[in-house]
Amino acid sequence: MNGREDGGVPDDALIRTTLAGDDGAFGELVERYKGRAFAVAVGIVGDGDDALDVVQDSFIKAYYKLKEFRFGSNFYTWFYRLLVNQAIDRWRKSARSAEVPFDESWLSGDASPTGAFAYPRTPEDLARDRELGDALQRAVDSLPEYHRAVIVLREVDGMAYDEIAKVLGCSVGTVMSRLHYARGKLKEALKAHREG
Amino acid sequence: MDCRAALGKIEAKADGLLPREAEAELAAHLAGCPACAAEDASISATGPVLRALTAIRAMGKAPALDAMWTRVRAGIEESREARRRPSWVARWAWIPAAVALAVLALLFYPAGTDRSPFHPSTFDVAVEDVESEVATVALVDKGEDLPRVIWIIEDAKT
Repeated sequence: MNGREDGGVPDDALIRTTLAGDDGAFGELVERYKGRAFAVAVGIVGDGDDALDVVQDSFIKAYYKLKEFRFGSNFYTWFYRLLVNQAIDRWRKSARSAEVPFDESWLSGDASPTGAFAYPRTPEDLARDRELGDALQRAVDSLPEYHRAVIVLREVDGMAYDEIAKVLGCSVGTVMSRLHYARGKLKEALKAHREG
Repeated sequence: MDCRAALGKIEAKADGLLPREAEAELAAHLAGCPACAAEDASISATGPVLRALTAIRAMGKAPALDAMWTRVRAGIEESREARRRPSWVARWAWIPAAVALAVLALLFYPAGTDRSPFHPSTFDVAVEDVESEVATVALVDKGEDLPRVIWIIEDAKT
């Protein structure tokens, strides 16, 4: 996504405007990517509040590093590199390998389902199956950090292999290998849940 | 297609990378093989379930996410202020540096001469009022042919 798909101002133009001193243009970039960024961050760190902090810190870092952005490349690939590194750092520092509770608050109407990014087709089904949510979260938590990043970028963000490789600074082969491993772990969790 | 070949193609199918013909062939195998069908169901479900899990988390944080630009802008401003403002150390670091410089100047002055640097009694020092209007006080060494000013203290109030 480069901002043209929805008829918006291209990312490159917003970056140039920001560099010219208009912070509002950077605000548009934040609005454009915050939902996807949160989805990736929460997939890696597990906890929603930590993920919000990661997204905030990544955008602030991106703002001050914007001068280093190479025009012609994708902003989101560049930004995601910051984001994923920030999320992995956060995960390491918090040492939050403990189980992250499955959040059912929105079922009680505490939160609006009209979020900031395109929602998957059956969050309601998953919310009703707390055990499955917990099992999947445990499986995600058990993955090494870069495997977790790969599965999140692929399955949650829908990134292509080569884009993931750029974000993580590794080869496409490594991405495929990590994805295979991560899928295997998640598959086992789902199978174990299904088999009771 | 045997089970080994089918298992090799299930992941490619989940990624949408399997050509249409191969997908049809795989579907035919899955229809008659419950074990491979179960494998396919589990692999195919990882993406949607992971997305659903993420979506639930995002819903719980929707208000905070709505305010993300406000948070980011505040963070940018805070960083900007921090960069402008000299740190506590930088603000007061000149004092010990100035004291050290003054001590060194008094101990070693005048370096490179036959005077012993650690015996200030050999200095012929006098305090003179050289600017009467602003009461500028100068510490002057008169030991040389020409007097040399060592230190000047200014105080416009007195």
